[in-house]
Amino acid sequence: MPTEIIMPKVDMDMETGKIAAWHVEEGARVAEGEPIFDIETDKAAMEVEAPANGTLHHLVPEGAEVPIGAPVGWLYAEGEEVGEPPVRKTQGPERAKEPSKSEPKTETPTPAPVTSTAEVAEEKPRATPKARKLARDNGIDLATLNGSGPRGRIQAADVAVLDDRQHAAPVPPAFNNEAGPLSVIRSRGGTGTPIVLIHGFANEAAAWSPIESHLSRRPLIRIELPCHGKSPKRRLSGFPELVSDVRRAFDDLGLEAAHLVGHSLGGAVALAIADTRGNRVDGLTLIAPAGLGPDINGAVIDGIGRATRAEGLGPWLRQLVADDTIITDRYVRAAMMSRKDPDLRAAQMAMADVLFPDGTQAFDLRPAIGRLAMPARIVWGKRDAIIDWRHALGAPGHIALHLFDGLGHLPHLESPDAIGQLIAATL
Amino acid sequence: MNAQAGIEVREISYAQAIREAMDIALSEDERVILMGEDIGVYGGAFQVTGDLVDKYGTDRVMDTPISELGGAGVAVGAAMTGLRPIFEFQFSDFATLAMEQIVNQAAKVRYMLGGAVSVPLVMRFPAGSGTGAAAQHSQSLEAWLGHVPGLKVVQPATPEDAKGLLLAALDDPDPVMIFEHKLLYKMKGQVPSGRYTTPIGKAAVRREGGHVTIVATAIMVHKALDAAKALEDEGIEAEVIDLRTIRPLDGDTVLASVRKTGKLLCVYEAVKTLGIGAEVSAMVAESDAFDFLDAPIVRLGGAESPIPYNPELEKAVVPQVPDIIEAARGLAEGRT
Amino acid sequence: MPDSTATDRNVPYAIRAYSPDQLIEALRKMYLIRRFEEGAEDSYTRGLIHGTMHLSIGQEASAVGACMSLTDDDKITSTHRGHGHCVAKGADLGKMFAEFFGKETGYCRGRGGSMHIADVEKGNLGANGIVAGGIPIAVGAALSAKRLGTGAVTVCFFGDGANNEGAFHEALNMASIWKLPVVFVCENNRYGMSTSTERSTAVKSIADRAAAYSMPGERVDGNDFSAVTEAVDAAVARARNGDGPSLIENVTYRWRGHSKSDRNRYRTKEEIAEWQERDPIARMAAMLKEHGITDDAAVASIEKDVEQAVEAAIAFAKDSPAPRIEDATRDVYSPKVAA
Repeated sequence: MPTEIIMPKVDMDMETGKIAAWHVEEGARVAEGEPIFDIETDKAAMEVEAPANGTLHHLVPEGAEVPIGAPVGWLYAEGEEVGEPPVRKTQGPERAKEPSKSEPKTETPTPAPVTSTAEVAEEKPRATPKARKLARDNGIDLATLNGSGPRGRIQAADVAVLDDRQHAAPVPPAFNNEAGPLSVIRSRGGTGTPIVLIHGFANEAAAWSPIESHLSRRPLIRIELPCHGKSPKRRLSGFPELVSDVRRAFDDLGLEAAHLVGHSLGGAVALAIADTRGNRVDGLTLIAPAGLGPDINGAVIDGIGRATRAEGLGPWLRQLVADDTIITDRYVRAAMMSRKDPDLRAAQMAMADVLFPDGTQAFDLRPAIGRLAMPARIVWGKRDAIIDWRHALGAPGHIALHLFDGLGHLPHLESPDAIGQLIAATL
Repeated sequence: MNAQAGIEVREISYAQAIREAMDIALSEDERVILMGEDIGVYGGAFQVTGDLVDKYGTDRVMDTPISELGGAGVAVGAAMTGLRPIFEFQFSDFATLAMEQIVNQAAKVRYMLGGAVSVPLVMRFPAGSGTGAAAQHSQSLEAWLGHVPGLKVVQPATPEDAKGLLLAALDDPDPVMIFEHKLLYKMKGQVPSGRYTTPIGKAAVRREGGHVTIVATAIMVHKALDAAKALEDEGIEAEVIDLRTIRPLDGDTVLASVRKTGKLLCVYEAVKTLGIGAEVSAMVAESDAFDFLDAPIVRLGGAESPIPYNPELEKAVVPQVPDIIEAARGLAEGRT
Repeated sequence: MPDSTATDRNVPYAIRAYSPDQLIEALRKMYLIRRFEEGAEDSYTRGLIHGTMHLSIGQEASAVGACMSLTDDDKITSTHRGHGHCVAKGADLGKMFAEFFGKETGYCRGRGGSMHIADVEKGNLGANGIVAGGIPIAVGAALSAKRLGTGAVTVCFFGDGANNEGAFHEALNMASIWKLPVVFVCENNRYGMSTSTERSTAVKSIADRAAAYSMPGERVDGNDFSAVTEAVDAAVARARNGDGPSLIENVTYRWRGHSKSDRNRYRTKEEIAEWQERDPIARMAAMLKEHGITDDAAVASIEKDVEQAVEAAIAFAKDSPAPRIEDATRDVYSPKVAA
């Protein structure tokens, strides 16, 4: 049996070695200890000596990569017959790989396209793990919550408030939740960029009628808030859900451009829509808008919400204007007629409870107004008893302010010509 | 704690409590020896061994030459072959000289030998700042050793635990490293007489509270308790956990508290980065208690600096009570 | 045990001190070490052994000679080049090979490998991967023996490289001040990896270091079994007698490289060949033949016997089960003791 010459392991992490050069030729006679070939590893080159005397046969070619322990050649003693390469007595004679047949290197993978993380981060509400768990467990959409923590982070308390109200509130006003889209009322006629009007709390599309004649050369579209007018009554989780509902109605209009006009709560909604649909809103008019400061006259909101008869409603409605003589008994009765549905009143009270808890506006649109890029104006009566007109003073310089000394919370009712012309002039 | 009947509870110092534990061990078990620099007639640099040499002689209370590496190695060899050495480093900082024996030998021998031998060795490390001893005599290196599988690392914060953990360490078949904060040596507390052990690997809730969890080690436990007391007047209830052992960590106690409060503050004197605070924070973040977090985790640790000499600077580089109050308040009030 | 009836000073110490059976057993152990390491090398070269290994071929007289007067109660600490010490202290070859192969039946249950083989039952506290790591441990073992009064002696093996480690100096000093029963056996094979003692060590003879620690120091031909035995036996007797430590320097040579990745660039083939001429096993066999203790046929029989023992050990190792993956972290700590 000839003596095998194996690829020796000469390095800790070596798995194969390369025959760099044979010092002797096939068929040559070598003596034990004589250097016969060089191997190359990742780290070193090394000379390998003949393990015995003999004649060299069956050499693997130079450049071949050989697994450690596999034979690279055989030494035949004098007189020993040289035939086929012997079968090894030990296991694992992996055949040497020819250098030319070496497998191609795996290609460097191209990096997978990554969605902009900034974009993703923008959309995700900032919330603590505990708040997330509470929201998850109670089926609450975090996007509908306002965070009270640093940088608007939603903390457990922000979820808990809602949670308490939903699950442990002192008997919430009952009404049937209704499905379906918001009520949208379009006028006939008019050309050019439409005007989209959004009324205020406890009001409805008809509220715009005093100024509509000034605006009618444009198509007029009135959206009614949820729980108002002919819109479905829905239990809202908060301002974001309200905006989301109205925005859906706005989106469904399929307008390329619109001028948005909003009053009070509708003003806040219009502002929020303008903030997120800036490319489709080319002008914005906010009349006594909510959302620009924390305080609001909770008593009036409560009073209007609670009233079941004209007698109970009138005194509160008169607070809405500077000159209360325009709130006639007839006006009050008409208003009460439109509020005769107890479900509607209950729905509005539930809504007020979410949006204006404890006489406070539970949402803040001051950052949004700073971001507005389209022409925008704020119209306010300085005798507004519901929302302090001074909230307007926080608006940035590029927002036009129109402040009227003798008007209250309903300037478009009290002075329809002035307000109508003002809006028309800017179209 | 499991103590025998008929014990009395007295007020003694942390150092006295350690000495009492060593006294009990020396008297009960012939195999126990003390080794260290100047622990004999001098009584130890911090007078912890005190007069034990008078009672047990220099063969059992052995002054070593100033040879931390060799001394530690002798203790390892002795522990492998039948003795129960308690090896005192004069300052924990000097453990850096003996790392080879602690880390490569003591910690690994049992594993490397496939469990054929164990190393019942106790090492004591006077640690921490506050003594004006500056950068090479004031470090808190417990996390270095806490990173080594095979070692157990404890940090008693009270006299009672100093005694109970030392006796528990002597009962343990594996090497136990005891870090003793130097400023605690003189602190007095209620300590039962006689033999008892404090379990290794078990944290203690030192104060219950529902608003914020403060996990602290060693002297920071006391600072955290002072902070908690101040916060109580503001209506903030802090729960203070004394970790006691940093390897193995008592996850159950910490996680249960975090699930309750949703707020975690880790306070430790060692350099903040890559320390026990990181470990505790990660443990919480990796556990189901994550879902209960209602604020980012806050760590208060030592500054990224050696310990300075000037006393005001020295205080400034490690957490103090007002720092803890502020951090805990921010967490409790949802402002962090 | 030393035989006090043989006193002829012209007869080598080993022949005087030990019975023919003990000497033949010693020769057998030397062959065992040689074949064991050759077998290990072959297995390594074939890729059957993980990691690396440090062979002591050429140093067999030092390992076997130094352990001649030790009992199983006596301890040794060993080095990364420790296979010889292990075999000399009576280890089982099968368990050693099994450890090399990373098997559960190995001395360290596959957790230690070549560099950590220990045999605690036979008093071998273990090889060590850290140069000089075992020296303070040996002193600690000697401290235990003294305190517990076991009468055991510790032989502490280390190489020339370790004599420049701080642990060496600290440990020798402590052994001396406490008069501990320990014998420091330096196997000076001339190179710490590639750096010669001439280039690394300020003293000519490492045995001279003993003077600094007020203990006897003796340098002997480490390839002369009898010289090693004579020096170490005296030091062991002194230690056992309570007279403290000694330092013995066995001058020897490793035929192989430092480890399996050594390219032998720092020494010449001539130097290696010259030391191979001083083969400690051939010299031991010649000495025993000269004194009529053995003959060629008996030596051939030992060699054959040893060959078979190594083959059987390798076969045992190959057939042994590997550790279970789920047990990878077992033995980091002691199992919980019931309270």
